[in-house]
Amino acid sequence: MIRSKFAQLSLKNKFFFSILIVILLISGAIALLARWILISGLTQELEMRGTAIAHSVATRGTEYILENDTAHLLNVLFDEKQLHERRHLVAYIFVEGKKGKILSHTFTTPFPKDLKGINPVSKTMEKSVRIVPLGGHEAYDIAVPIKEGIYRIGTVHVGLSKAHIDNLVGKLRAMFLGFISAVIIITFWVSHRMAKYIADPVMTLTKMSDDLSRGNFSSSEIVNSGELAHCPAFHDTDLPCWHFDDQRGGQNKIVTRPHRCKKCAFYNEPGDGDEVQQLTSSFRNMVWSIRLYRRRLQESESTYRSLFRSGPDPIFVVDVMSQKLVDANPRTEEVYGYTRDELVGMKYSVLGEEHAKECFEYFKNDELCAEAMKSARVVHLRKGNVPMYVNVTACLISYRTRPAIIVSTTDVTDLVEKDAQLIQASKMKSLGEMSTGVAHELNQPLNAIRMGSDFLTMVHEQNIDIPQEQYAQVVTEISTQVDRASDIINTLRSFGRKADLLLEDVNLNEPVGSVVSLLSRQFLIEDVHIVTELDPTLPIVTAQHNKLQQVLLNLVINARDAIVERNEKEGTGVRGRILIRTEYDDTGVSVSVEDNGAGIPEHVVEKVFEPFFTTKATGQGMGLGLAISYGIVREYCGELTIQSAVGEGTSFTVRFPHRDMAVAANQG
Amino acid sequence: MRIAFRLAALFLFCIVLIGCDAEVKKSPQLLHVPGVSSTEITLGSSLALAGHASYLGSQTLRGALSYLRYVNALGGVHGRLITLKAMDDGYDPTECLANTHQLISSGSVFSLFGFVGTPTTVRVLPLIEEAQIPLVGVLTGANALRVPFNPYVFNIRASYYQETRAAVELLVDKLKHKRIAVFYQYDAYGFDGLMGTEIALQERGLAPVARGTYVRGTTDIDEALQRIVSAEPDAIMLVGTYEPCAAFIKKADELGLDAAFFNLSFVGAEELARRLPDDIKGDVLVSQVVPPPLTPEVHELMGIADDYVRHLKEFYPDAIPNAVGFEGYLNARVLVEGLRRAGRSLTREGFMKALESMKSFPLGGEAAVAFSPKDHQGLDKVYFTVLEDGEFKLINTTDTLVHQRPLARNEEPLTQ
Repeated sequence: MIRSKFAQLSLKNKFFFSILIVILLISGAIALLARWILISGLTQELEMRGTAIAHSVATRGTEYILENDTAHLLNVLFDEKQLHERRHLVAYIFVEGKKGKILSHTFTTPFPKDLKGINPVSKTMEKSVRIVPLGGHEAYDIAVPIKEGIYRIGTVHVGLSKAHIDNLVGKLRAMFLGFISAVIIITFWVSHRMAKYIADPVMTLTKMSDDLSRGNFSSSEIVNSGELAHCPAFHDTDLPCWHFDDQRGGQNKIVTRPHRCKKCAFYNEPGDGDEVQQLTSSFRNMVWSIRLYRRRLQESESTYRSLFRSGPDPIFVVDVMSQKLVDANPRTEEVYGYTRDELVGMKYSVLGEEHAKECFEYFKNDELCAEAMKSARVVHLRKGNVPMYVNVTACLISYRTRPAIIVSTTDVTDLVEKDAQLIQASKMKSLGEMSTGVAHELNQPLNAIRMGSDFLTMVHEQNIDIPQEQYAQVVTEISTQVDRASDIINTLRSFGRKADLLLEDVNLNEPVGSVVSLLSRQFLIEDVHIVTELDPTLPIVTAQHNKLQQVLLNLVINARDAIVERNEKEGTGVRGRILIRTEYDDTGVSVSVEDNGAGIPEHVVEKVFEPFFTTKATGQGMGLGLAISYGIVREYCGELTIQSAVGEGTSFTVRFPHRDMAVAANQG
Repeated sequence: MRIAFRLAALFLFCIVLIGCDAEVKKSPQLLHVPGVSSTEITLGSSLALAGHASYLGSQTLRGALSYLRYVNALGGVHGRLITLKAMDDGYDPTECLANTHQLISSGSVFSLFGFVGTPTTVRVLPLIEEAQIPLVGVLTGANALRVPFNPYVFNIRASYYQETRAAVELLVDKLKHKRIAVFYQYDAYGFDGLMGTEIALQERGLAPVARGTYVRGTTDIDEALQRIVSAEPDAIMLVGTYEPCAAFIKKADELGLDAAFFNLSFVGAEELARRLPDDIKGDVLVSQVVPPPLTPEVHELMGIADDYVRHLKEFYPDAIPNAVGFEGYLNARVLVEGLRRAGRSLTREGFMKALESMKSFPLGGEAAVAFSPKDHQGLDKVYFTVLEDGEFKLINTTDTLVHQRPLARNEEPLTQ
């Protein structure tokens, strides 16, 4: 109870009370001890004096008692009683005769009856001391026998004024109490001052801390605002201050020596004053650091806030737990068509279901948390479920103490469409280039059909009877040729079709087959042979058939061009050979296009994927073929690599990860 | 913080409680005033009515009684008759103490009055203080009754210090005597006179050339005489009573000493004169604190002398008026005036306050008694008389009897 109450006291009072109680206890002990020693000693001493007076009276008075000379006896009594200071001590002296008769007394009133016969001294006793009532007071009555020889002739009674003794004792006591009181008061004062001295700075610090908690950094008790003007670090947040940037670690660690003013306006060097003052100055330093930090933080925060606000791309914050948006910048409103109020609290999956899933999956993995998750060309839905392509960057942050993902999206729908147009254009160009070959290709079935139809016409006109078997053979051949022409046209059409945006499962052998069927015959004209080595057990990849066709088309056409170039250059009729090979291993699926053409010089190799780079004569190529191919391959997370040696040939390899791995790579 | 102070106060209080265990109780006031009844006020006195100083005591008593009887004859004070219980102490301090103790302890005396003699009165002073009983009008100029201030003692006459100072002024300043000897009674009275003389002489750069003593109640003065005469003084201060002083003067004169013999008032001038032969070569002087009652100029000096003579004649037809008796009479007048002023409801305190209220109680002529709470010295005047034709006569003009006769002079009040 008391202990808990004591614990609740302020430091000042604890200190104060502890000292006070100790002093009071000591004082009390001393007071009791001194009282015991002084008072008992004093009383004893006074009693001895009283006894001495009684003996003196007994000695001097004996003769007067014997002579019955009361006048002289009285004089003796008064002499003894009123000798200087004794008059205060001795209240009375009286002498009793043999039979208790009062021979003489010093009372100024008639002899008090109640003193008669009081305090008798027995024969064996030398004296008797007893407290007797005397008027309103009490007195120590000291009785001493007066003897003649061995017989008693009377008794002397000396009354010591108890009031006087008490008065003396009281004086002693008062002096002592005064002394102790003075000690207590001084201690009281000193302890009070000391307690105040210790507690006041603590109180100030507490108040400062409270101020700090409330965000009040401009309290005059903490840092004099006028001094702010003198601190360069306060105004220039980029200026590293030695005071706390010294301790800064991690990525922001400053290599250069931090700025150090000649005299810091705020930092108080330790070592001056006592512990309390040191604590105070240390606290001030800390406050100053916090203040500087806070200012820097505020600036940084406002910088990022403005970045967030005015960023050209939508940025929003998604709570990991609830998977809901908690904040979004104005740009998000513009791009997604939702108002901010609608956005906040909306499930992220409403905007981009697949990415949301991937995202939360991704950030569950603790190891990946530190890394930002980048996703290209993700489909997000605008208000009204209008799809759009966005590049998404997501990273984990702590938003209001909760784990959250900050998602930044870039609308790349236009880009995607432009890409598609470009690809289409390039495809059309390829088609144009191929048109002669295609025409030639078409010509063959047409010729065959013509021949068949001519044969049938001739048979009909000339009524040549042909065997039914031959007839059926011709018709079947015609039909076959029509199918072939139709195939060619279908292939051409599918090639020329503008691809849509959805990915599909593709077996790389299929686009290879399409391209080969389209071009092989045509290339034969130019003495270029296409050879394929296809692995029938090839795993499927995620891509688009149409676009892969285009990539292969580009590569094959380039290979042919290289062979043609070599033929033109060297003049020797090297037999052109293009080897298309599909294969797979543990990590991915690849298709390579290898030629034995002119080869590409080393210094050019690096540039071949750059747009508008071409080695062909002006007008023959735009230099976009490889660049577009590269873009397409990258789009499906694949790689397009080149190996070339001048005069020996070139090998392009397109390599895709397995479908499972592609998902992971996509996110990386 | 307030709790802290309260706690501290409590602790202090506790300590005080530990320290004190009994409070001193005040003695209850006596409701009954001793010596005062509805019809009577009893006063007590102890004085020499027999023995070697009986003249002083009896004359004082007679003087006082002559006025008290006169007052009683007129119905007393506020309807109370005044009774004076006079006890003989024979000028013996022991007896005086015994008498006084008896008077006080019997509880039948309102006030003490008219004590005679220095040693006797000084002896009872502590008793008076203890009993807190007023003492009015003492036939002594003892310094002990005046310094230190005693609230119970009311002195009417001038002190011995004042008398000796006046005497030294007369002897040294006026009469140009340088060699002063002192003859004194070996007790409180004599010491007082000796010291007063010595102090006054010291102020003038002088000291007594010789000192001689005698024991109270004896006339064994030869040794003192021898010592003083051999010092060949111009003047001798005699601090004693009439008997030894007369003997001393006679014997000194017989030895052919021509010097001024200066006696203090307590000597009993008339009795001294009676005992001395007429042919003393030197001047015999006596200082008085009241003028001789039969002096012609007494009307101007102290008019009540006439009343004294009249009342004395009325109640003691045989008695001869004298200075000692006059002093007793004077004391009685002051006493009665005090009782009158105290009113009907008489207490000792009221009585003392009444006395202290006397700013100026006229005594006829130029004399007046004045008391105040801080000053219990009623009169300060010293009169000089010289023996002439067997009578002490007031020195009031430039008389031929002394070489230079100063007028009676006002003595300055003693600085305490």
